[in-house]
Amino acid sequence: MEIEAVKSVGLRKVYNSKHSKESVEALKGVSIDVKKSELFTLLGPNGAGKTTFLRIISTQLLPSGGDAHVLGFSVVNEPEEVRKHIAVVPQDVATYNNFTPWEYGYYFARLRGMDSVEAKKMAEEALKAVDLWDLRNRICQTLSGGEKRRAIIASVLSSDADVLMLDEPTSGLDAVARRGVWSALRELIGKGKTILLTTHMMEEAEMISDRLAIVNKGSVVACGRPDEIKALVKERFRVVINGEFKQLSSYGETAKLGDRNIVYLKTQGEVIDLLRDSLKMNLRAEASPVTLEDVFVKLVGGLNGNGN
Amino acid sequence: MAMGINKIVKDTLIIAWIKSYPDFRRNPLMLLLLAMISAIPLFFMLMFSSGGNVILHGLIGAMVSSVAFAGVMSGIQDISWDRYVKIREMIVAMPVRPASYALGIALAPLLISIPSLILFGAITAYLGFLNIDILLWIVPALLAVWAAMSTMGFMISTYLFKASPMLLNNLSNLLGIGFIFIPPVYFSEAQLGGLSWISIIIPTSNVAGLIRSYFGLLSLSTETVIIRWAVLIVMTLTFVTLISLKSKWRES
Repeated sequence: MEIEAVKSVGLRKVYNSKHSKESVEALKGVSIDVKKSELFTLLGPNGAGKTTFLRIISTQLLPSGGDAHVLGFSVVNEPEEVRKHIAVVPQDVATYNNFTPWEYGYYFARLRGMDSVEAKKMAEEALKAVDLWDLRNRICQTLSGGEKRRAIIASVLSSDADVLMLDEPTSGLDAVARRGVWSALRELIGKGKTILLTTHMMEEAEMISDRLAIVNKGSVVACGRPDEIKALVKERFRVVINGEFKQLSSYGETAKLGDRNIVYLKTQGEVIDLLRDSLKMNLRAEASPVTLEDVFVKLVGGLNGNGN
Repeated sequence: MAMGINKIVKDTLIIAWIKSYPDFRRNPLMLLLLAMISAIPLFFMLMFSSGGNVILHGLIGAMVSSVAFAGVMSGIQDISWDRYVKIREMIVAMPVRPASYALGIALAPLLISIPSLILFGAITAYLGFLNIDILLWIVPALLAVWAAMSTMGFMISTYLFKASPMLLNNLSNLLGIGFIFIPPVYFSEAQLGGLSWISIIIPTSNVAGLIRSYFGLLSLSTETVIIRWAVLIVMTLTFVTLISLKSKWRES
């Protein structure tokens, strides 16, 4: 039987406050399997427990209950073995201003035990992967926010670790830079690496994940491939209508976004009926398949969503 | 076992290099400034005092302050900065031992202070005060004050885990000034009269006194020298013990 890259069983984390008797249960028994050579995403709103999960898996934080294994090694009892196989980009990590992207790639590879020649090779590959090769000798102080973040990501890519863990790696990046990072991550999957990342960006989760788990309030709400997750709701289509449309709820479930209305529908026939009626009322309407965001909002609760 | 020690030493040197070389290379003027801070009291002593040994007192003070300031700075500022920028989190998740990280962080400013130490040592030698016998005592004494001040800095940053980097930064500057400019580091403890025992319990003035005795500026009995070394060692070990009781490589 093949060992999972990451396997958590009933992982719990309770933060106790020293100043009050209140405690916060950040993880409520999270069980997740991440297969080897898979890009697995933890998708959830802020405060859902994604970072706590990642910090436990990357041996930075002890759980309050349960255990997790990385390539068969327990994060609770064998952290040193786990650390040989992982590399981490924490959330909101900043750079040393006097460092260059080259130094990030090279020295972090050296810290993982590579010799100078190997570290140089890995640093070069990593910097090219995140499109920073031309800026390799610029100090981070002079780089843009996105370039700094890519320098940090390059340090992880140069590690040659089996399992990469990235906490919101593309936050703050523009669309082009984000796609550059996505491309680099997908290439690593092609090379047999496993990636576990967190994000609250639906597009990111849908675009690059092999599988994902939606996490909310410390629990896994749904887990599977993006298409499987989308199939969890019975509606297949959404129609966005600009303007006032009376008795819209008679067509299906609705959500209101200011002067726009979203209607969720099950069949193509229902979509065609609504589009025709909208046109009769001289309203602009647009139909498309439901997005991961629609499903996410429904599952975790939010705008007109029932949640939980 | 030997492999493990090799890895610890190698990682220590890499971390020390990471934390010193880029600053050294890109901000040489800042390093010059740090050396100048240690030399400022020496300058004033030369301006406003007279007497053959004044310059040697000042040079001893400058050497001790270079190393002591480096120690307290690394223990507090570098650790809190690494926490703030989350580089520490990246390193915790690497196959790097906590000892390598702590030693590397402590060693880095010592490397940065080497140019100023060489400068002050060269001036001392040029003036005819320094010989190889004295040097063999000065180097371990400076290493001892570096160890005491570094571990004290680590202890403070360990116990003030949740303090802001700005507060810790100011604290380290205050401690640096408090340990370097107030006790008898640039001047002889003999000037304290009956209170000269205070200099033994402060690592900087303790070492400055030891070095003065090696230069023949201060008369210390063999017992006193042994007590001073013992105080330094016990103080460092106490700080290490306190750190190990509180510090956590992995948070709980």
